[in-house]
Amino acid sequence: MAAIRLSNITKRYGSLTAVDDFTIDVKDGEYLTIIGPTGAGKTTILKIIAGLVEQDSGDVFIGGEPVNEYPPEKRSAVYFPQTYSLFPHFNVWENTTFAPRIQGVGEQEISTIGKEMLTMVRLWKRPDALPSELSGGMQQRCGLARALAANASVLLLDEPLRALDARLRIELRYELRKLVKDLNITAIHVTHDQEEAMSISDRIAVIKNGRLEQIDTPQKLFDIPKNPFVANFIGFSNFIEGVIVNKTDDLLTIKGTYDDTIMTNGEFNIGDKVVASIKIEYVVVDKQNEGGPNTFFGEIEDFTFLGKFTTLDVKLDNGRKIVSKLQSTIALSYSKGEKVRVKFPQEKLIAFEYPKFGLIKEVGV
Amino acid sequence: MQISRKLDTVIGKKWFNKTWYSFIVLFFLFIIITPTVYVLSYSVTHGDDLQKYVFSDTKSITLSWNRSGDVNFSKYEIHTSSISDFEPSNSTLIATIKEANNTNYTLSGLSMDSSSYFKVKTVSKNASAAISNVPQIKSTTISLMPIIINALWFSIAVALVVVVIDFVAGLPLAWLLARKKFPGKRYLDVLVDLPIAVPTAALGFSIAIFWAAIPSEKGILIPFGAASFVSSPFLLVVLLHVAFSYPYMVRSLAAAIEEIDISYEIAAGTLGASPFTVARTITMPLFRGGLATGTILCLARSLSETGATMITLSMLIPLKIENLASTAGITGPALIGTIKQSNFLHLEPALAFISMILIISSILLLIAVKMLITRFKLPTQKVWPRYETLLSRGFVPKLKNASSFIFFFGIVIIPAFFIIGYIFSAKATGVDWATLQYSLLISLIVAAIVTAANLLLGIPLAILIARGKNKKLTATLDTLTDIPIIVPTAALGFSLGLFWRQPIFQPISYELLLIILAHIAFTYPFIVRSVSSAVECTDMSYEETGRTLGAGPLQNFRKVLFPMIKPSILAGAIMTFTRSLDETGATIAVIAKDSKIITAPVYIVDLITKQQSYYPAALACIVLIGVSFISLLLLRYVTKKVK
Repeated sequence: MAAIRLSNITKRYGSLTAVDDFTIDVKDGEYLTIIGPTGAGKTTILKIIAGLVEQDSGDVFIGGEPVNEYPPEKRSAVYFPQTYSLFPHFNVWENTTFAPRIQGVGEQEISTIGKEMLTMVRLWKRPDALPSELSGGMQQRCGLARALAANASVLLLDEPLRALDARLRIELRYELRKLVKDLNITAIHVTHDQEEAMSISDRIAVIKNGRLEQIDTPQKLFDIPKNPFVANFIGFSNFIEGVIVNKTDDLLTIKGTYDDTIMTNGEFNIGDKVVASIKIEYVVVDKQNEGGPNTFFGEIEDFTFLGKFTTLDVKLDNGRKIVSKLQSTIALSYSKGEKVRVKFPQEKLIAFEYPKFGLIKEVGV
Repeated sequence: MQISRKLDTVIGKKWFNKTWYSFIVLFFLFIIITPTVYVLSYSVTHGDDLQKYVFSDTKSITLSWNRSGDVNFSKYEIHTSSISDFEPSNSTLIATIKEANNTNYTLSGLSMDSSSYFKVKTVSKNASAAISNVPQIKSTTISLMPIIINALWFSIAVALVVVVIDFVAGLPLAWLLARKKFPGKRYLDVLVDLPIAVPTAALGFSIAIFWAAIPSEKGILIPFGAASFVSSPFLLVVLLHVAFSYPYMVRSLAAAIEEIDISYEIAAGTLGASPFTVARTITMPLFRGGLATGTILCLARSLSETGATMITLSMLIPLKIENLASTAGITGPALIGTIKQSNFLHLEPALAFISMILIISSILLLIAVKMLITRFKLPTQKVWPRYETLLSRGFVPKLKNASSFIFFFGIVIIPAFFIIGYIFSAKATGVDWATLQYSLLISLIVAAIVTAANLLLGIPLAILIARGKNKKLTATLDTLTDIPIIVPTAALGFSLGLFWRQPIFQPISYELLLIILAHIAFTYPFIVRSVSSAVECTDMSYEETGRTLGAGPLQNFRKVLFPMIKPSILAGAIMTFTRSLDETGATIAVIAKDSKIITAPVYIVDLITKQQSYYPAALACIVLIGVSFISLLLLRYVTKKVK
């Protein structure tokens, strides 16, 4: 039983508000990822749950119990920092059995737990090695064994894969999720790598400036972002700023800044200033010359080859620049300067209220 | 295990945490800082006394009387009073003289505008005998102010010259130790630290018999090989201070150079700069921090040194107030020691005034030097390739290295250990083993208690400074920590004595306790500095992970933080222990005149400056050096064992 609830948590450092009225519910056994740009308050949230940082206001509940007054060692939530913090003066075995030993568990049991954990992370051959003698991946696994040996019900992972090289990072993230799921531990994983978040999470919480922007399954976050920031932070989007000029039922006609007209659904009134967004994956590019709603013509300016996919930079005839991500086999059949047709499927175009402080400030591009 | 878990449930509580750290901060403020600078309040509370005994001229009076012919002679007692026809009693007694032949007594520090009357009582072994009014009084006038001002300038001049010499001579050696590999480097590394382990009192005697042109009537045997030509007090004191401060400069500079990534130098070299240009334009500007540390350490040490300076100066002229008026050659702390040893009737105002100006001027000087070093800029944009290449090749670097070696051995190592030659060539006479053993015992007890107290009370403050959440508080504490380092220990000792001798502290003002408190005050920063910087360098996530893995605060300290900062704790403990074993100024200044409790280095100073018994002093020096080395090795061994 280790559902976590943070209710109205606020933490300030001087004039800077690191966490701003933050409320979140994490289900028992859930693998939740917190994602956000650098300085968004991700680590502070983890440390507040662990009891390492004291919030200015708000409550933390672990397993339904208020833990505000509990010191870190009583919260049953293990913090796992990006450097793993393997104690340099202890070897693998001593590190792994640290928690049972300080809990005063008997020697027999310590030995059982230690063996079980080291077998689980495939380090049973190196119990005498010092952390400095291990590779990055082994260090990470040893840190994990140590955390799991504490028999904690919550694992707080602060960018646990950041220090690894790219390929290992991908291999280990699935292993990490599997271990956590097998032991039915509630995990909160902080990262700023959106691909990592998408691939291992049950749900993702997107935060910015200490505020929760949206929490949802990876797929919903991608398809139905709640605001332009999320639209561009989870995947990349094209943005079209404009004003509502017409409305029938909930079909909106938006007049864009490049004197272009697009149509989509949404709850706005005539005269509202809006931003429409579409993920680069959903922009259709072809060579047909038949016009229609949400359909434009332009020429290809540049390619970026990414392997299976390629992004195309297209300059529309009205001057607007659009990015599209296509399968490379299709994209590479075009050439630079070639005239193409660009189409925005209406159901993939999402209209947002125009951000208070401007689009650039909102999406940070 | 069970006990520590139980303790942790209490220690983990917020109220305990707050109470404990409040206690530590209060301890620091009221046991360390306040007594250290308490003397500054003296000018407010005792302005009249300062006016009467320091700013105005004072009288010095020599009393003489007829020798007692009594076979049962025990002692002369000297009594004084402001009433002409007084009855000698305990309250009028100012001195006792135990030698029948000694029929002179000089008393200094008397107010000019008051009259005093004197009587000498000759005490016989069976019964008290005749009381004689003193028939002959020779009176001279002493102006204390010029002596004090001279001493202040002397101190500052010595300190500045010493720092410059240390830097110029220390830089090449530091460079060699930090950047070069050569056979025997390991031994040189140990050798550099050696003078730090030699107690300064012993070092002072050693330096004096090596360099000083000692008048032959002193009857000191000068061993073969001594230079014996320095007759200027200034030069002699500079040579002494260079010998004990040089290792601090070399160590700070070497540490700073080592910290600088060598790839900057490699990059500059491959870009075409000659080694000299690289050193001047790349490395030197980067290690300003190390220069500041070294300079401040050396300045503070030089401004603070008492006993060894008294010893070396006493080789040139007897240290008496009357002599000081004519020669401008004593440092401030040594003046405190000299006055304390003399027959000064009104000690307190004089000592308080010297302590005050020493404290204030040391702090000002160090602030000025710190500002100068951080502001000072080497011209890095201008390069003279032809000359600098010349300086980098051929015989110039060789000459530079050779001369730094010659300096190190000729000015530091050989003079520092010259005393060993003396002990083998001098005639063994007059050693008072009982007092020597007693003083050594006191020294060791004091050093042990001081080290233990510092570890117990210094580590928490260090952790608070490094990890405290209230940045304003920690920054203030951090700055305050420097004060006991900067304040000359003789001034600190006097100030502390003044503080603890206040009537309200009467029940605890035992001599031994005062010595311990004074030693704690000036060594406390060493532990705090060394541990707090180690804690700051340790990634906080180790402790955080430890806590979330279930360790309570105490367990977490024992198992996680302590093993990682152990070397720094050890270094701080060794520093505390040796400095306490070594200290003269604070001890001399804090103990009452004619105190029965004496530490080994103060005993050495006493033997040389007061009793002129040189062989016993040299022997005491050798024993003290031995004890110091052995305790260092023991301490190292013990701290390695304890996990």
